[in-house]
Amino acid sequence: MTAALLLALTLGQYTPAEAQALFVEANDAYYKGEFETAQAKYEKLLEAGLGGPDVLFNLGTTHLAKNELGPAVLYLERARRLSDDDDIEANLAVARQRQGDQVVGAETSRPFLERLADALDERVVSVAFLATWWLGFFAWFVFRRKVEGRLVWGLAAGVLLLAGATLGAAVGVHAYVRHRVVEAVVMPATAKVREFPGDNGKVSFEVHAGLKVRVMEESGKFARIRLPNALEGWTEKEGLVEL
Amino acid sequence: MGRTGSALLLVALVATPALAADVEFHMSVDRKKVGTEDTFRLEIVVGNAPDGAVVQFPAPEDFEVLSRNQSTQMSYSIGPGGAGQMRNVQKYTLVMRANRPGKLTIPPAGLQTATKTYRTDAIVMDVVKGRLAPDTPPRPQNVTPFGFPPGFPFPGDPFGDDPFGDDPFEEPQVPRGEADLFLRASLDKSEAYVGEQVMLSLYIYSRMDLMSVDTVTMPKLEGFWSQDFKSPSELRPEDAVVNNVRYRRYLLRQKALFPMKAGEFTIEAPAADITTGVYFAGRRVHKTGNPLTLKVKPLPGGGDGSTLVGHWRLSRELSNTEVALGEPVQLRLILEGKGNLQSARLPELKIPAGLKAFDPETTDQTTSAQGQLGGKRTVEYVLVPQQTGEFMLPGITLRWFDPETHRWEQSQVDAITLTVRPAANGATAMGTGVGPGALDGPKNQLVAGGLKSLRHTAHFEAPRAALWSRPWFLPAALGPVGLALLLGLVGLIRGALGNTSPEAQKKQQARAARKRLAAAEKLSKAGKPSDFYAEVERALNSFLEAKLGAPVTGLTRAELDARLAEAGVPEPERRRLAAVFDTCDLGRYAPGMADLSSRQKALADAAAAMEGWS
Repeated sequence: MTAALLLALTLGQYTPAEAQALFVEANDAYYKGEFETAQAKYEKLLEAGLGGPDVLFNLGTTHLAKNELGPAVLYLERARRLSDDDDIEANLAVARQRQGDQVVGAETSRPFLERLADALDERVVSVAFLATWWLGFFAWFVFRRKVEGRLVWGLAAGVLLLAGATLGAAVGVHAYVRHRVVEAVVMPATAKVREFPGDNGKVSFEVHAGLKVRVMEESGKFARIRLPNALEGWTEKEGLVEL
Repeated sequence: MGRTGSALLLVALVATPALAADVEFHMSVDRKKVGTEDTFRLEIVVGNAPDGAVVQFPAPEDFEVLSRNQSTQMSYSIGPGGAGQMRNVQKYTLVMRANRPGKLTIPPAGLQTATKTYRTDAIVMDVVKGRLAPDTPPRPQNVTPFGFPPGFPFPGDPFGDDPFGDDPFEEPQVPRGEADLFLRASLDKSEAYVGEQVMLSLYIYSRMDLMSVDTVTMPKLEGFWSQDFKSPSELRPEDAVVNNVRYRRYLLRQKALFPMKAGEFTIEAPAADITTGVYFAGRRVHKTGNPLTLKVKPLPGGGDGSTLVGHWRLSRELSNTEVALGEPVQLRLILEGKGNLQSARLPELKIPAGLKAFDPETTDQTTSAQGQLGGKRTVEYVLVPQQTGEFMLPGITLRWFDPETHRWEQSQVDAITLTVRPAANGATAMGTGVGPGALDGPKNQLVAGGLKSLRHTAHFEAPRAALWSRPWFLPAALGPVGLALLLGLVGLIRGALGNTSPEAQKKQQARAARKRLAAAEKLSKAGKPSDFYAEVERALNSFLEAKLGAPVTGLTRAELDARLAEAGVPEPERRRLAAVFDTCDLGRYAPGMADLSSRQKALADAAAAMEGWS
């Protein structure tokens, strides 16, 4: 990751000090009420590959100050995926309060695998899996070759390989959930949701900027979206931006 | 003296019979090449016509007579011999217009006398399509309503000064066949910017007596925001000369138009029902005006119908710059100027969080002066401070496009600071001897909520993909499994190769025995004599099993010695082996007697036994 950051700094022609200065300039513009300027500077950092939860949080908050709920929720949600700080949740709560849609009805319970994937940090699980997996096989190898102390090596190999297999399964769950579960944010002020994918489809309901939805499948220029209360319909893909 | 001379001349004119003179009769035009939209004058001069002479005017089909005037001149002159001569000249002026282009002939005029008919020459006109004569704007003059029928009182103009004193309008064209009464619409400009005011005027031109105007149908004004500028309930005439013909002109409607988008617009013809005549001899006619075209230019740099255009000034008034907590202050934003006030959108006022703002009250006051709509918009906010401190009301900038200078202009009000001090009762509430009411005074409200502050420093991260999606992850995960399989495969191969050759198997066992001997050496150094001797014994057993091709474990010394003898092992080697076994037994069961030197000796003997038999 460090190498990637260094590459981004090189490509974006920003030294770390320059990037930090640009970030501070954007903040100053925000506090002067020059939201457009602030937004442009944050976006410059993103374009240079200098993202992270801080830039995303500030950019989302700037959009929120401009009352642009679509991008506000998009960037704040992206920031939340990288960091679970309270201020992100607080500004997301403000965005939800301003958002025009109220999802009525009980939210459907999320499948176990999705909840499991949310509960486990992907990087920690992946690194732990590789470590235990390799150590387990090493212990097994020693166990096979060792004359003395074979019991210890054998036990260690068993425990490590079992842990590795479990963590490997968790990595698999992550991959499965990330592949299958696509979340997006509604960007236009109003988007029509139809009963079937097509311009002639009867409009079932409308959704508004800033609503987070789940993309179930795609067909042509339409995507089937699902709301947290399981309400579903087809809307145009170009009105959605994936998280 | 002068008076006496004049009187004598008049007497001579009356008393002296006029001498007979030749009849003069001719016809001419002021120009021979005209356009179909031009008017020209045809003059017929009749001089010394006898009594009872009748002028027969030409009636050409190709020309329309718009008006006809007559003037008479009389002169008296003294001829040769002192005889007086009276000359009477009648001049007829016809304003005409050609109906079509081409070489057109005005037939001769005639003068019918009792004895003879005189004829002028015909005149051939060269008529081209369109207009050749330069525009001559009319010079309307307000006149008193002398000679007009009743029903047209002429009150003062409620709209003030006439904005068109020098009349920028193009001279209207007299419609064919409607020369006496026609309806004309006009715009004060042919090109305008989006949002710029254009004045639409509708006039009646008449040479007839008008009784009333019953209905006026104005065109649909799609693409425009419009507002009545003048809509007189009573008509007021003014003189106007159109194509050299004198008319009376009545303003019916004036509308200020503001184009909402760029493009070429056609405004449909208006219509009106007009009753002509006087008193009971009225006749109602329906008249349709002319359509208009207007080219609307886009604003430089963009903008639409909601963009502010004209000339404006923005100002701000704050009732007080220092107030006590809870004391309301009035803040007025005032926009005034010329243009379409309805399209004005005042910038949003950013109220600091410590001030509570009530819904603003907006007041519009439209003005019309000098032919220009304008007005004043006042937005009044009532602010109630909720917190103490200094609150900056930020500056506001308003941009607009000035069509006169063709530039974007702006008006700005500077930021202003409002200082809020603690309320008097709040300050004394901490003291003693105040009533309970003082405790209910306004407090400095510290409210949580709103957006969280920005992060002041950033920890930058390049966008990262999940580890499991990286290309190296799967090989890394499968690596140990692959290695284990590879090692197992090698073992299988090696095992398979060992089974095929007993000699190789023996060598393998012998190598294993030597490895055990090496392991025993490590145990010796680690200070584990029992383990050391056990390992040396296992190494020797393994070595012997490999050499003899049969298990030796469990054999007595005698049986082992017999086996070795059978295998042809020499006596000294058998004894050496037996000595090593004995040492091992001693070391295992009496480890205290096995010092380092005896262990090294046992190791050396075992190694020598193995090497001696290799």
